[in-house]
Amino acid sequence: MKLFLLFLSVGFLLVLLQTTLLHLLPLGPVVPDLTLILCVYWALNRPTVATVLGSFLMGYTVDVFSSPILGINAFAMSLVFLITYLSSRHIWVRGPLLTAVIVFCAAWVKVFAMVLIWALFFVTKAPWTGALQYVFIEALSAALLAPVLFYLLSWGENRVQKVRSVP
Amino acid sequence: MIEFFRRYQVLLSSFSCLLFAVYILGSSSAGRLQADPVGPLLLEVMRPFQSGLNSMVTGISNIKDRYIAVSDLWLENQSLKGRVLELEGKVNQFRETEATNLRLRKLLDLKNQAFARSISATVIANSASTWFQSLTINKGTKQGIRKGMAVISPSGIVGQIWSVAPNGSKVLLVTDHNSGVDVIAQRTRARGIVSGSLDRGPVMEYVTRNENIRAGDRLITSGLDNIFPKGQLVGTVGKVQENSYGLFQDVSVRLAVDPERIEEVLVVSIERSPAKK
Repeated sequence: MKLFLLFLSVGFLLVLLQTTLLHLLPLGPVVPDLTLILCVYWALNRPTVATVLGSFLMGYTVDVFSSPILGINAFAMSLVFLITYLSSRHIWVRGPLLTAVIVFCAAWVKVFAMVLIWALFFVTKAPWTGALQYVFIEALSAALLAPVLFYLLSWGENRVQKVRSVP
Repeated sequence: MIEFFRRYQVLLSSFSCLLFAVYILGSSSAGRLQADPVGPLLLEVMRPFQSGLNSMVTGISNIKDRYIAVSDLWLENQSLKGRVLELEGKVNQFRETEATNLRLRKLLDLKNQAFARSISATVIANSASTWFQSLTINKGTKQGIRKGMAVISPSGIVGQIWSVAPNGSKVLLVTDHNSGVDVIAQRTRARGIVSGSLDRGPVMEYVTRNENIRAGDRLITSGLDNIFPKGQLVGTVGKVQENSYGLFQDVSVRLAVDPERIEEVLVVSIERSPAKK
């Protein structure tokens, strides 16, 4: 329960950062996707029903604070979680470099999922036409931040585990 | 059976979430999603934290500006900037009023347009995603805000209210590709729709090839969409490209308002009052 609350709090903190402080970075319209990093962390290190629902909720929260269409980020995050989880069973992911690569690929999976959904459900032209540069910048920024966030999440988890183990 | 569910619980819950997300998307795109029970709750939960963080960032930025720069000059500068914005807004309105007055004197049924309601609000958060352009403001249904109301600033239009919670609302910016504002060029009355685009920036679409439009032309709201008040400045024409094919010209737009820098907005609803005899 404590771990779940920790993850939930971290998730909302990341959304808070994405809607406020991260816009101060000189990246133009690009906002580093911290919720994606959290979702990948959960899929690699804590694949449970709670974290599946957490990923869905993170995507839904991003929808509430950005997209006029509900469900698009929720779908994308859930798909990223699923693909990362399935991949983690065959790939040994350790070290900051591999973490960054996984998050970089996950960012592209997320955009692919959003493009797919847009093509299936909406007749208007997608926002990603000609926006390949932004996909790259967003994926790169997430990949660069991933090792730091992974370390912080892992440290937080260890602290909670220690508190739980103290009689 | 139970063992099957226990063994594949993560996979099954993932597929369930994907299906549920598809259901929400389908309902949302078909317009069947009348009410979002979770969204307003999330807006309400996050609002105090976003307000606090935004105030902190603004406060730190203000402290830095005030004590690094000359304090008196900064205050005077801020005051003059506000005054300039206010006057620019009035000049835009007067220009349009003059143009409209001259034109409509020759026509029957002159109708006045006034703001039925206007509510000031502060921007407390930006979009959480690169792919969609929106803002969160600190006013909601309790202050009289409703979905579809226009959001403007003294410099020009900002967007429209997309979703509301009791004390917060999400604004869909004009720079978002889902947004569309019915505009006319102030000089020639050429009509078009200004919509956002991530790669090209805002563009004015459906401007036919025979329309006289050139770089520098001021674009104002036509009022025909019944969302934005008529005569509000949208921006100026950036570049016009006539293709050798197709019905329309390619027109880029420089918006009057930079949504990334905006701090205070006005939420308005329009109402047509009967013509005065």
